[in-house]
Amino acid sequence: MLDFRLEKWSAVAPGLTSEKDWSDWLNSRLYSADEDNIKTGLKKISPMLRRRFTKMGKVAAAALCGLELDENTPLVFASRHGDVDLTLSLLQNIASDQDLSPTGFSLAVHNAIAGLLSIAQKDTSSITSVAACQNMLPTALLEAAIQLQDFSKVVCLICDTPVPKIYQPYTESSDIPYAIALLLSRDVGTALKLSKNDSSAAILDETAPDYMQLLTLLLTNQSEVIFAEKNTSTHWKLQSI
Amino acid sequence: MSDLNTELKQMIIDALDLEDIDTSDIEDDAPLFIEGLGLDSIDALEIGLALQQRYGIKLKADSEETKAHFASINALAKLVQQHQTTNV
Repeated sequence: MLDFRLEKWSAVAPGLTSEKDWSDWLNSRLYSADEDNIKTGLKKISPMLRRRFTKMGKVAAAALCGLELDENTPLVFASRHGDVDLTLSLLQNIASDQDLSPTGFSLAVHNAIAGLLSIAQKDTSSITSVAACQNMLPTALLEAAIQLQDFSKVVCLICDTPVPKIYQPYTESSDIPYAIALLLSRDVGTALKLSKNDSSAAILDETAPDYMQLLTLLLTNQSEVIFAEKNTSTHWKLQSI
Repeated sequence: MSDLNTELKQMIIDALDLEDIDTSDIEDDAPLFIEGLGLDSIDALEIGLALQQRYGIKLKADSEETKAHFASINALAKLVQQHQTTNV
């Protein structure tokens, strides 16, 4: 069991920025593909650096900028699939015997987005990258909350994007490109508790994806959510206290 | 402004995702790297690749000669012209 506090958060997807946008989306699942909000969210980053962000990177950057951090803060960056569109395009180039784009290649590591963000924010704090299949979101929260032993504040940035069609038969992925940035703190903000879920009855095949569960906790008066994974006995529970 | 210069500017804009920049924003004799347009080393590699794909020009990544070719749009245009003349 792990206790920590959430000082503030910011979530971004195409057309979705404010708490109202996200509450409406949780109810309706409707969103516009209009990406003006993401462009606006990136205004703080210089154009020459901004162009290096891929589509998912832009969403992640807009969420992090939305936190309006006023001091350097360690970052836990987490994504299940990473920038899989970019990886696929590089693989396709290799398959068709073309030279690879040096820029694409340099951005194709899992922590590239986190690296670009550290340059953009001139923040030399530590960065940890998490990639996990099952229980990705609670694993990221666990890592960030544990780092509160060393730092008074830690940012947890969670992002993912729908995988390209070619991979869709083989894996689950999010319905929309999204990023959620959480500023965790030792002593400021809403108290949260992360624990293993001890109710073995709650194996929830129909449970919403992790990021939707987290948004439900953040936006509704529901005070606990369970991150359920199919085919595992380990489920995590996040409660606001 | 010559057509080749405009063509090279457009090639750079496309290859480097310079979304907010138009060919008229790039000066023919201004530095491309650090000052002027403000490109960096990854951009240099990307331009090298674009030159190879488009004009069949192969450059050595770290030679002094390459540095001179990459000084400005005018210098790049000269390189492309030389290459085209020697290969005709």
